[in-house]
Amino acid sequence: MSYKVVVAGGGLIGASTAYYLTKSGAEVTLIESKDIASGTSGACDRAIMLQSKKPGPTLDLAIESIALYKELEAELETELEYRKSGGMIIIETPEEMAAMEHMVERQQKAGIDVKLITGKEAQERQPGLSKDLIGSTWWEEDAEVNPLKVSFAMANAAKSRGAKIKLGTPVKRLLTENNRVIGVETPTEKIYADAVVVAMGVWTPKLFEPFGVDVPIIPRQGHILVSERMPSFLHTGILSAAYIANKLKRNHQSEDPDPFGVGLAIGQTHSGSLLIGGSRQFTGYNTETNPEVIRKIGEAAVRAFPLLAKARIIRAFTGLRPYTPDGMPILGPVEGMDGVYIAAGHEGDGVALAPISGKIMAHMVCGENSGMDINTFSLSRF
Amino acid sequence: MDDMIICRCEGVYLSDILKAIEEGASSVPGIKKRVRAGMGYCQGRVCQPVIRDMLESKTGGEKMPPQQRAQTPVRPVLLDDMIRR
Ligand SMILES: Cc1cc2nc3c(=O)[nH]c(=O)nc-3n(C[C@H](O)[C@H](O)[C@H](O)COP(=O)(O)OP(=O)(O)OC[C@H]3O[C@@H](n4cnc5c(N)ncnc54)[C@H](O)[C@@H]3O)c2cc1C
Repeated sequence: MSYKVVVAGGGLIGASTAYYLTKSGAEVTLIESKDIASGTSGACDRAIMLQSKKPGPTLDLAIESIALYKELEAELETELEYRKSGGMIIIETPEEMAAMEHMVERQQKAGIDVKLITGKEAQERQPGLSKDLIGSTWWEEDAEVNPLKVSFAMANAAKSRGAKIKLGTPVKRLLTENNRVIGVETPTEKIYADAVVVAMGVWTPKLFEPFGVDVPIIPRQGHILVSERMPSFLHTGILSAAYIANKLKRNHQSEDPDPFGVGLAIGQTHSGSLLIGGSRQFTGYNTETNPEVIRKIGEAAVRAFPLLAKARIIRAFTGLRPYTPDGMPILGPVEGMDGVYIAAGHEGDGVALAPISGKIMAHMVCGENSGMDINTFSLSRF
Repeated sequence: MDDMIICRCEGVYLSDILKAIEEGASSVPGIKKRVRAGMGYCQGRVCQPVIRDMLESKTGGEKMPPQQRAQTPVRPVLLDDMIRR
């Protein structure tokens, strides 16, 4: 008899976990309250940027994740728009230059071959960039992928390997017996399992509240502007140094000069639309767009690419990044509660980290050795 | 029935939409995320009512799938105009 596992949540992380669990031979039921990629994974950018990760465990995870992405299109027999595009972090001020010099030094020590290049070199690599830039980083290994395609392809692959997928089905609560989770309850049924993986992104804490278990994931809102289709012109992934500064900031103080945490993150889809982000703000579960933030993101985009003044914006939306206090995801069991695991809290890195997170969870749940120190990402570190 | 274009902006066919519904899409955003219908220049102004009708007939017309929230900007706008105060 095979091992029964329920995965709650059908975003990038839940879909990936379900897929890798089926590969490990588990009998999987994926339960999603709305639809695959209806949460944060359907409201995000497409960057797999290693450069933006803090050197340390998260960067190590990202490196392993990229290795998985390279094989994924062949493995899933689906086009995911994966492309090794290279990436730049553009630098506009001397203060940013000092911060990026420091970051690049640490990344080079961590074995990443990032380089600092001049503003002129940046323009040669990416025509259209402003002449006012004083420099940029460059790393050829950064990549991009279509997160919607990844979510659906992982869910479909899990399904064709035998997983049951229940859409439009919220998990109401965890079923327990003597401190052990034995399944989940939905509005219509109780589903029993040997293990439950909770991959509900920013909604993860809700399932644990009734047990007095505090899961410190907070929604951190981000905006994205979408342009009309344009001829393909973005050759690489581009972030601004301001974006990195805001990402690494652990909390926004009230006297913060930029309460919206605006920094540029720009990419182009295969269809030609530009995705222009972003912002970082703690606004609870609110997903309304804010015209002030949209305008500031527009300014950042036109500063970096003056020609974008003539681009038409057709839509703007927000997504909720699952923020954790130390910027690292939670991947692991829950102390004092057997049979349940958390895979959530990927903040702005969930696209990049989806494959490796799913693989680690599958190994952990099925008792296989993943070769990683799981304590690093466990809930008990908080 | 012969295949026909439902979303002109993104070139999405009836068969694509039926396939998305078969895969589990039960709302306008669910169709949009799977096959891009309504993601283009007109933002679904033309195809959304048709897609909603299709969803309704598939679900036996019991519940009206939620109308997609109008997203700012309501009409395509030049970035230049957007950032000018
Ligand atoms: C603006 C923005 C830009 C981003 N850009 C990037 C980027 O370029 N690169 C990158 O790597 N990352 C990026 N991210 C981060 C990335 O999008 C997230 O880390 C990732 O999508 C999180 O995936 P998830 O599966 O944990 O969460 P989600 O996708 O939110 O999935 C959780 C799922 O759980 C479901 N759910 C909720 N409650 C229940 C319940 N009771 N029962 C069952 N299901 C439930 C939800 O419906 C949802 O589908 C960005 C995020 C934002 C907001």
